[in-house]
Amino acid sequence: MNGGAMHWRRRLMVQLGGLYGLWLREVMRAFRDTGQLIGGVSRPILWVLILGIGLNPYFRGEVYGAVTFVVPFTYLQFIFPAVIALNIMFTSVQSAVSVIWDREFGFLREVLVSPLSRTTVLLAKVLGGTTVALLHGCLVLVLARFADIPITWADLPKALGLMALLAFALTSLGVVIANRIRSFQGFGIFSNAVILPLYFTSSSIFPLDPALSRAQTRVVYPDWLVTLVEWNPLTYAVDALRGALIHYNQFDPLLGIGIIVTACVVLFSVALIDFYRT
Amino acid sequence: MAQPDPAPSADAIHLNAISKRYGRTLALDAVSFNVRDQELFALLGPNGAGKTTLLHILCTILRPDSGTALIDGIDVAKNPLEARQRLGIVFQEPSLDDRLTVRENLELHGLVYGVPRKLRRQRIEEMLALVELSDWASKPVRALSSGMKRRLEIARALIHDSRILLLDEPTVGLDAQTRDRIWAYLRRLRAERDITVLVTTHYIEEVEDCDRVCIIDSGKVLALDTPEALKRAHGQSLVRLTPTAEADLEAITARYQDRLTARKGNELTLVSDDAFITAFLAEFGTRITALKVEVPSLETVFLTLTGRELRDRAAGAREQTLAFGKRGGEHTR
Ligand SMILES: Nc1ncnc2c1ncn2[C@@H]1O[C@H](COP(=O)(O)OP(=O)(O)OP(=O)(O)O)[C@@H](O)[C@H]1O
Ligand SMILES: [Mg+2]
Repeated sequence: MNGGAMHWRRRLMVQLGGLYGLWLREVMRAFRDTGQLIGGVSRPILWVLILGIGLNPYFRGEVYGAVTFVVPFTYLQFIFPAVIALNIMFTSVQSAVSVIWDREFGFLREVLVSPLSRTTVLLAKVLGGTTVALLHGCLVLVLARFADIPITWADLPKALGLMALLAFALTSLGVVIANRIRSFQGFGIFSNAVILPLYFTSSSIFPLDPALSRAQTRVVYPDWLVTLVEWNPLTYAVDALRGALIHYNQFDPLLGIGIIVTACVVLFSVALIDFYRT
Repeated sequence: MAQPDPAPSADAIHLNAISKRYGRTLALDAVSFNVRDQELFALLGPNGAGKTTLLHILCTILRPDSGTALIDGIDVAKNPLEARQRLGIVFQEPSLDDRLTVRENLELHGLVYGVPRKLRRQRIEEMLALVELSDWASKPVRALSSGMKRRLEIARALIHDSRILLLDEPTVGLDAQTRDRIWAYLRRLRAERDITVLVTTHYIEEVEDCDRVCIIDSGKVLALDTPEALKRAHGQSLVRLTPTAEADLEAITARYQDRLTARKGNELTLVSDDAFITAFLAEFGTRITALKVEVPSLETVFLTLTGRELRDRAAGAREQTLAFGKRGGEHTR
C-alpha cells in the first residue's frame, strides 16, 4: 500500500524532472540561436518605432476633412499590442519548427526511449516554446513608453497572462503544422503561409471602425475583409491584449480569453494525438 | 517497504516469436531467443538482416506485429516506461543534441531518467573519464569528431542505472583504433558494473570475444551459440591457393568442383580437411605457387550458414545523416 504510493510519487518525480530538463533544453537552445534573438529584437523596433511612428500622423479621425470616426488612441498605441502578438507568433512557430530538427537529427529518438511519457515530452516542448515566445513578447513591452502606453502594475499580470496563453496556443499550432510537414522546406513557408496572413487579417494593423455597427462596417469595408477579420481567432486574442494594455476592446474581452483558452486546449490535444500516433 | 521484484527470471532479455513486417518486407520472422543476465551478447548479420528493427522493438520505438519481448521480466508492450528505465541505448544513427555541450547532453539525460543530482554529477565525471572525453566536457557536441560522438553516446547510455545496454553497430564507420577503444570500454564496464550488453555488428572479428553470438539474416535466427561452439558446428577450414598456370587452374577446378567456394582472379578457395590436404598435395603439389590454410573462423561460419560473405557497406544511414548535417542545417537550426 505504502510502497505503491511511493512508487507512484517516484514516477511523477521522474516525469517532472524530465519536463524540467527538456524545457531547459528548449530555452537554452533558443538563447544560443542568435538569428532568432536578432529577429526578436529588430521586429518590434521596426514595427513600433519605424512603422508606428511613421504612420502615426496619418491615423486621425479625419479623411479629406470629413470626420469618419474618432478613436481614443493613437495609431502607435493601437498597433502596439498587435506587435506583441506578432513577436510571440514568430517565436512560437520558430520554436515549434525545431520538432522537425529533432526528428531529422535523431534527438527525438533519445527522448522517445526514455522513461518519459509522450505527454511530458510534448508538454516540455510547448512550454519551452511558450517561455521563449513570452520573453520575446516582453522585449516589445520594453518599448511601451515609446508608444505612450503607461503600463500599470494592475495591467501587467493581465497582459502577461494573455501573452503566455497566446504563446502556448501558437506553439501548439506550430507543432501541429510541423508534424504534418514531412520534408523541411525552411521557416519561410511558415512565415509566409501562416504567420503573416494570420497577422494581417486580425485587425492588428488597421482597426475596423469601432463606432460603426456590424451592418455599417460591412458598408465601409469590403465584405470579404470583414468576414476574414471576424473569422480569424487572432483578432480576438489581439483585442483582449488591447483591452489589457490600452483599455480598448472591440469585442467582449471574455470572448478573447475564451477563444485563446479553447485554442490552447484544442491545438495541444491535436498535437498530442498526432504524437501518440507516430 | 521494498518493492516486490518483477517476475524472477535469469534472462535479461526474453524474445518470443517476434515478427515485424514493413509492407511486403518481412523484417523479422518469428524471432525467439534469450539474453542471459550479465552476458555480452552479439547480434551478427548483414545489412537488412533486421538487427535495428529488433532493437527498436526492444526499446518500444516500434511495435511488433506479433510476439512478446521482456526486459528484466517486464513486457515492453504492457509497461514501456518501466522497461525503458532499465535500458541504455546507443542507436545506429546519431541522437545527440549538437547545440548543447558534452556535459549538457549528459546532464539532460540524467534529468530525463530521474537520476538524483548528486549521483548525476558523479556519474557524469565517471563516464566522461571512461570514454576519455573529460577534456571535452564543455565543448559543444558539434565540435566533436564522429568517433568522439559515438563514445559520448555510450557514456550517455550509462548515466542512469541501466541494467541492459543495447548498442546498434557502435563501431560502424570508425577507424580501427577507435573501434578497439570502444570494445575496451565495454569490457571494462562489464568488469565494473552488473550489466548485460546486447550489441549488433557486422564486423565478424569483433564478436570473437563475446559470450554468445546470434547470427541473423533476413529476419531469421540462423544460429546461436558461443563463438567456439559455432565454429565447431558450422565452421569449415579453407585453403586458398594460387595455381601456377591457367591449365593447372582448370585442372584443379575440374577435379574439386564440389569443394570450390570462391574464385578471385587466379586465387581459388576450397573447403578443406586433413585428408583433403594430403591428397591434394600429392596430386597438385607441384602445380601451385601458394597455399594458405585457414582454420575455422566465424567468417567461414557465416559463409556456411548464409552462403554469402559479410561485407562492409557503402555509406550507412549514420554517415548519411552526418553528411546531411554538414551540408546544410547547421546555421538554419
Ligand atoms: N521504415 C522502414 N520501412 C520499410 N522497410 C524497412 C524500414 N526499416 C527497415 N526496413 C526493412 O526491413 C529490413 C530490416 O532492416 P533493419 O534496418 O532492421 O536491418 P539491419 O540489420 O539493421 O541492417 P543494417 O546493418 O543495414 O543496419 C530491411 O529489408 C529493410 O529494408
Ligand atoms: Mg541497422
